[in-house]
Amino acid sequence: MALNLTINTSNPPLGALLAAEHVKGSVQVSVKEGNDTQLHVSDSIQFSDANSISRYLARVAPALGLYGANMMEQTEVDHWLEFSARRLCGQPGLTVALDELNKALSLRTFLVGHALTLADLSIWAALQGHEEWPRQSESFSHVNRWFSFLSSQVPFTSIGTKYTSKKAPVSKSKMNE
Amino acid sequence: MALRELSSLEKYLGLKKPNKYSTRGEKKVPVLQNNNGPSLVGLVTIACHLVKEAKRPELLGSSADDRAVVQQWLEYTITKLQNCTKEDTKTILKDLSLYLRDKVYLAGSQITLADILMYYGIHAIIMDLTIQEKEQHVNVTRWFDHIQHYPGVRHHLPVVVVLRNRIYTSRHH
Repeated sequence: MALNLTINTSNPPLGALLAAEHVKGSVQVSVKEGNDTQLHVSDSIQFSDANSISRYLARVAPALGLYGANMMEQTEVDHWLEFSARRLCGQPGLTVALDELNKALSLRTFLVGHALTLADLSIWAALQGHEEWPRQSESFSHVNRWFSFLSSQVPFTSIGTKYTSKKAPVSKSKMNE
Repeated sequence: MALRELSSLEKYLGLKKPNKYSTRGEKKVPVLQNNNGPSLVGLVTIACHLVKEAKRPELLGSSADDRAVVQQWLEYTITKLQNCTKEDTKTILKDLSLYLRDKVYLAGSQITLADILMYYGIHAIIMDLTIQEKEQHVNVTRWFDHIQHYPGVRHHLPVVVVLRNRIYTSRHH
């Protein structure tokens, strides 16, 4: 099964790109640049929302554990995916959301369980693409530690430098999982 | 005690053939009899040797800076953690919590031998903490929980229960 991911270069879906990088060894995903972000699964199935794309990629490569190790963790991942879409992406004030994130990260190295999940990818992507984050980062030490830790790891470094968009990302209008 | 740590380290490193150790002196310093050379003495010396034998040099640090930091914490584990008093543990936890504020691992952004030996060394101290104390030293607790769940590290030690949500922060309600 070959999957085709097309990305909007003026507003690249960093979370979906990270998920694609992670599953590369298990699933065949080709990445193309284009006008609209879309994951082409088959002629009748396409996804255009970044979180839907990540979810699908995580589910076709279950061995990687990107969707958590059990049902509880899966629910937590869903919580953070929604948190990133509603509270971070394209939102003007980040302070309240960052405070919540900071509390959650005080006793955690990764957001969910003991390994990397979609939750980390999606929230990292939302902060990376948010113009307010660099100014706020100093005041939230736990979020800052987590963010720079991920930024130093392998797929994050390349994705971060390759697709750094200046615009604050995405309207939430295109959800069709 | 050091012997169990060394055998756990051997398992973590995936070394097939377990070594034979003896101890020397009142402090029971571990000794490794080497087939083709002089015997090696001391926990950190033997641990570094095992890491090289397993061809995992990155566990001693990937850059010159990291290597220095790894050696610093290795020395810390043998000089400060062994036979420490109640007063000492307070200072250790405070120092370590401050240091780990902005770090996931003791040196650099990958696990090193320093994390593993520090985890073995500090386990008894963390085991004795109350839930409230664990929360006071939130950065140590987070680091400890991460290392004890790191694949292959734990072996002979019991899991310490760590709450992952704070319950003593009265400010946020």
